[in-house]
Amino acid sequence: MDLALQLLFTGIGIGSVYALVALGFVLIFRATNVVNFAQGEFSMLAAFLMVVFSVKVGLPYWLAFIVALMGMALLGAVFNLAVYYPLRHRTYLPVIISTIGASIFLANTTLAIHGPEPEVLSGWFDTPGFLLGPVYLDSQYLLIIAVTAILVALQYWFFEHTLLGKKLQATSQDKEMASLLGIPVATMIMVTFVYSAVIGGIAGILVAPVLFVSIGMGAAIALKAFAATIIGGFGDVTGAIIGGLALGVIETFGAAYISVPYKDGFAFLVLIAFLIFRPQGIFGERVAEKA
Amino acid sequence: MSLLELKSIVVRYGEIEAVDGVSLVVEAGEVVTLLGSNGAGKSTTLRAISGLAKPASGDILLEGQSIVGLRPEEIVRRGIAQVPEGRRVFPGLSVRENIMLGASNRRGLKKSEIRREADEMFDLFPDIRRFADALGWTLSGGQQQMVAVARGLMAKPRILLLDEPSLGLAPVIVQAVFAIIAEIRRRGTTVLLVEQNARMGLSVADRGYVLETGKLVLSGTPTQLWSNEEIRAAYLGGRAAVA
Repeated sequence: MDLALQLLFTGIGIGSVYALVALGFVLIFRATNVVNFAQGEFSMLAAFLMVVFSVKVGLPYWLAFIVALMGMALLGAVFNLAVYYPLRHRTYLPVIISTIGASIFLANTTLAIHGPEPEVLSGWFDTPGFLLGPVYLDSQYLLIIAVTAILVALQYWFFEHTLLGKKLQATSQDKEMASLLGIPVATMIMVTFVYSAVIGGIAGILVAPVLFVSIGMGAAIALKAFAATIIGGFGDVTGAIIGGLALGVIETFGAAYISVPYKDGFAFLVLIAFLIFRPQGIFGERVAEKA
Repeated sequence: MSLLELKSIVVRYGEIEAVDGVSLVVEAGEVVTLLGSNGAGKSTTLRAISGLAKPASGDILLEGQSIVGLRPEEIVRRGIAQVPEGRRVFPGLSVRENIMLGASNRRGLKKSEIRREADEMFDLFPDIRRFADALGWTLSGGQQQMVAVARGLMAKPRILLLDEPSLGLAPVIVQAVFAIIAEIRRRGTTVLLVEQNARMGLSVADRGYVLETGKLVLSGTPTQLWSNEEIRAAYLGGRAAVA
């Protein structure tokens, strides 16, 4: 029982990272109808930016965090203009290929500039963690869970209670109609890309102390997050969060009780099961109605 | 100077000329109906006015100023609002939110003001008041049409473009929709209405144009159009009576 509680904590922690990256997938998918295959590279790049500003430049941790996220916001804007905008009137296929190309470009540019060796990033807190009853609460995992909860709450408030949030939703549901109402569609999509790059970046920086900061970390996280969006029901915000958390918990339990080497395998086993038995995902019906 | 003037508009889809040299005028305060069968180029004409389709040649003037080449966002800011074919109510937003977004072209409004105006809209559309918090996709076609028109009026347009408001609606609902168009007209909003249903379309109009395979073939007052034998046979007879 104690072990199970411990695993649940760790699983929700890692699942929060998947949920944040999945959220980036879903927001861009809803705004542009295209899966952004470079979403994972946003996390990888932010982690490297954090290493540069915090370790190499020596800025205070919080300042490095803010500067790295500003860099991500800029990257999101440039990404939108270079990768999506020129192809916005085409079908989804050229855009998807364009995001795959961008993903390769970002990973290899980082490799060329930085080199292949992984980096270590310390956590936000000096205290590694503390015991709460039988469960050891790692401070970085606590931070990940708290930040995810706050971001999800903020996002809910933003989409449900602000006019800008409603305009973004309108844009994602029917771009042409939104433009007929005077909603600046190009600006709305720009906002979406910037926001997705920033939350992908937050996920990358938060998970960096748990993993190594490496060129391949983006692809690894993105694959899990992608599985999370399919489990949750593609295009559904709540589904992405629940899918991400579920995936984190499943793979943590699977590693502990069944087999550590097959840890990644459990996530994809669940994904395959969903693709066969419930391809629309947990919250799939609403997406079907929307189409 | 006319409120809206189209000068020899040509719109092509690939090699096909969907609209082939259409010229028409809409004066302030008028309701003008553009009639024609399926594929005659009615919707394309409206799409050219609202900026969704780019004319290959010709000019579109709003109070003498050309609006060709402007983006749809800019055109609605200048006072031309379109209620498109198929209603296009945002399925995942509530009825009130849909209506509120209609004011997106007007700058400097507070959210609370927009909300108050949206709630006042329900006086004109009492049938949808009780659905204010329901999501768009849960409504029937007729109710969605009311939402779409209310959303269009929220733009406070100088001219409202209505694209086939009767399409796919039961006759009794069509009557209700046209009663609202008559009320909009009474309140002084200029309307350019596109219809296949000639009987209903002309019932609220000051003037009408008839479009056939991309070309204007006839124009005049409803009485003049009714008296034209060819038109009666083609548009006001069999097919229109069924619709």
